[in-house]
Amino acid sequence: MNDDDHTLMRDGDDGAGGFEEAVLEDELRQAAAVLDPVPEALRQLAVEAYALHDLDARIAELTFDSLLHALPVRGATDVPRMLTFQAGELTVDVEVSGDGLMGQVMPPQPARIEVLSGPGAGARLTADDLGRFTADAPPTGPFALRLRTGGHVVVTEWLRA
Amino acid sequence: MSTGTIPSAAYDDMPYTRGELVDRADVGALVQSAVDGDASAWKALVEGLSPLVWSVVRAHRLSDADGHEVYQTVWFRFAQHLGRIREPDKAGSWLASTARHECLKTLRSLSRLTVTDDPQLLDRVSEDGSPEQSLLDSEEAAAQSERIRRLWQEFERLGDRCRQLLRVLMASPPPSYQEVSAALGVAVGSIGPLRQRCLRRLRARLDARGTS
Repeated sequence: MNDDDHTLMRDGDDGAGGFEEAVLEDELRQAAAVLDPVPEALRQLAVEAYALHDLDARIAELTFDSLLHALPVRGATDVPRMLTFQAGELTVDVEVSGDGLMGQVMPPQPARIEVLSGPGAGARLTADDLGRFTADAPPTGPFALRLRTGGHVVVTEWLRA
Repeated sequence: MSTGTIPSAAYDDMPYTRGELVDRADVGALVQSAVDGDASAWKALVEGLSPLVWSVVRAHRLSDADGHEVYQTVWFRFAQHLGRIREPDKAGSWLASTARHECLKTLRSLSRLTVTDDPQLLDRVSEDGSPEQSLLDSEEAAAQSERIRRLWQEFERLGDRCRQLLRVLMASPPPSYQEVSAALGVAVGSIGPLRQRCLRRLRARLDARGTS
């Protein structure tokens, strides 16, 4: 990987006949713009996502996701999704199932938690003195948890429920 | 030697030709401005790169609902990581790669359940409400629309590999090969030859239909 990588010319390796291909690719580009454009509502959401930019918050990275790391259970239909996020010494375990969301902050400590589903405000939860928290409704779609604990703000990496 | 009228201004006004370099060159600067609080820089990033993210989603043939959620997740995560991205000028590759991984995760979870139907893109051409529909007002535009529809149909009939590659390549502005590589997990060096082969295959299909 060097700095020139991203300046790789696309036309250079086409050789003879590249022009006709470029024209066809351009036609495809036009077709995509007409038949399969970015839905306007989605584009607008991406613009609004700027509000999620928060340099003061620490990011708790996803370190375990049962979707990727666990073997599927034969015959089981509603297997809870297990997630682990980590920011330094702070760990957040989360379990999402049809019944809702359960979680555990480690080391155990109280926290105010917001379940974000987008740029707007989210549902509020509280983790008890042992760091446990629950929500009756499971998140659907993109979600992140914003935790306030011990003067810190930690936000889990965005992912899909 | 140049005095008075300087042509460079005219070049500046030109849209990207085939050079994504013009458009992509300032991605790093836009990221930095957005980090510093410039909302218009963020908006410019969305304008310039959301077609790429969308293309990656579509290339993986997710259902509409899944695709929309992946698209959102990618942008939410990008906003979250803004300012921590190690190579801001490669934000396009970051987005493409993140989109790819979310798509693969979705496909993986779906494979345990049922397969959803592919979205029928061809039906959308008759939907009302898009600004492009006004094009259909003239006969010439109708012919153009028919041509586009046929092109899309043949594109959709290509093999998975070609369809996927071309769907990403047709993002606007055109993605760099590095972004395509991040979007599909293929080596940069193989993209040029593959692209050539896939476009030739598509051309052959169109020719066979007598629509060249």
